[in-house]
Amino acid sequence: MATTPPAARADDELTISTQARTRRTRHRQLVILGQAGIALVVILGWQIGALTGFIDPFFFGSPSGIVIRLADWAMNGTAYGSFWLQIWTTLEEALLGFAAGVTSGIFFGVLLGEVPYLAEVIGPYIKIVNALPRIVLGSIFVMWLGLGLPSKVMLAAVLVFFVVFFNAFQGVRSVDRNLVSNARILGASRLQVVWHVVFPSAMTWIIASLHVALGFAIIGAIVGEFLGSQRGLGLVIATAQNTFDANGVFGAMIVIGGLALSAEAAMSMLERRLLAWQPAATKERDVQGV
Amino acid sequence: MVNVTKRFVTPSGAAMTAIRDVSLTVAPGEFCAIVGPTGCGKSTTLTLAAGLEQPSAGTVRVSGTPVDGITKGVSFVFQTDALLPWKPVLDNVALGPMFKGIGKSEAKSRARTWLQTVGLGGFEEHYPHQLSGGMRKRVSLAAALINEPSLLLMDEPFSALDVQTRAIMSNELLNLWDRLTPTVLFVTHDLEEAIGLADKVVVITAGPGTVKAVFDIDLPRPRGAVQDIRFDKRFLELYQQIWGALREEVEQTYARSAGQIASGRAFA
Repeated sequence: MATTPPAARADDELTISTQARTRRTRHRQLVILGQAGIALVVILGWQIGALTGFIDPFFFGSPSGIVIRLADWAMNGTAYGSFWLQIWTTLEEALLGFAAGVTSGIFFGVLLGEVPYLAEVIGPYIKIVNALPRIVLGSIFVMWLGLGLPSKVMLAAVLVFFVVFFNAFQGVRSVDRNLVSNARILGASRLQVVWHVVFPSAMTWIIASLHVALGFAIIGAIVGEFLGSQRGLGLVIATAQNTFDANGVFGAMIVIGGLALSAEAAMSMLERRLLAWQPAATKERDVQGV
Repeated sequence: MVNVTKRFVTPSGAAMTAIRDVSLTVAPGEFCAIVGPTGCGKSTTLTLAAGLEQPSAGTVRVSGTPVDGITKGVSFVFQTDALLPWKPVLDNVALGPMFKGIGKSEAKSRARTWLQTVGLGGFEEHYPHQLSGGMRKRVSLAAALINEPSLLLMDEPFSALDVQTRAIMSNELLNLWDRLTPTVLFVTHDLEEAIGLADKVVVITAGPGTVKAVFDIDLPRPRGAVQDIRFDKRFLELYQQIWGALREEVEQTYARSAGQIASGRAFA
């Protein structure tokens, strides 16, 4: 028989695709199993080590200690108000700083990218400021703006600004010259070129920087709280450190990690919406967060 | 265009002459093809006509007025399509009227009509990357023609397309040109394409480019399919004449670049 009857072939197709799907599901299950296994080994090992005295719980805490500490904070609050207030404070500082840094970063990035003269004049100064370890600016901001919210927002914004600025600048510089020429020939004014061509084109670059920037915003808020504040997760950690409360430090760390992960997830959703026009292949870019 | 010279200053500071004393007159409504070896300044000629660049010496006049800034009533079709990848096809075509200050809904309805004209009705909401190369070229054509330009500049517009698509697009271009009769400056490296489409073929010398010869193409119009006219006796005659002029220049360019590679100074 030279040809397979169509019915048999369709049947074959079905089994093939079913097999492929089963293989995929199996693979997925194996990955999850491995991931859960690692978590289990680490947590169990830590707990057992702490119980047997192999790991000193005074310095390294223990999983159960962390859970108890977190539960205590959640129910009884911390020394400076409820635990939720601390979380909200840090989140508010980080988000405000993020918004301010992103807006100013995009604005100046596009401006300097579009006006080469400005870029040449201001460029060296930006490089100088960027070369500073910007975290130390936090001390200045606490002196200037006090222990409240503004100094943390400022620190977060400065950290975010540089990441976004350099990407926006680079994005504007790498806009396809043909697209700009074409828009100009079609009669676009300079502002129209920026709005319709340059900005959307730089958007790919800007969005790539936002993941990193979000991490920096949270770092800025927490370091700011470390340096001097009346509430926030940074203060919670600082206090725990001063009282040698290892469980407290780890507990606050886990909460910050959770915050960062959910912010990251929200960011990815935003990215998918903003870059919906991109072909599927180029979307697979995984940007490393901080 | 009268005695146009364009000198570029290279980043290293040395002056490089892209075209030298190019004089070229194209009558309104004429289809003029420009052929020449690579790097002879064909594209530069177009950017000068568009007003994207200003000549270092000489003047460029379009419809009698010297070009100063972007030329009015001109459209450009690039070798790579200059479509905005983040806008659907319809919005891309509507850009021209929108930049001219025409309201959004009016601009879009014009764009819709133009998409139908180039045979892309039903693809309005597709993004450029979802279309084939030929379809994107159609969109580019629609986007360029929607402003009803008096001068259409085309820089090797079909060179990225496969041979069949190119033939189809050539025919389509001729149809559209028949309807709107803009003046066309068409840069190409494909002599068959040049002769098949144009009223006049200009041969540019090896860089720095200058006009070597101008050939009038007296093939009757309408010419019908570009694929068929290639076997016309007159077409072959013209081809031989023009190729004779072009060959020297191509060989000279080739010898020059080969010499550079041989002596280890290969640079573009």
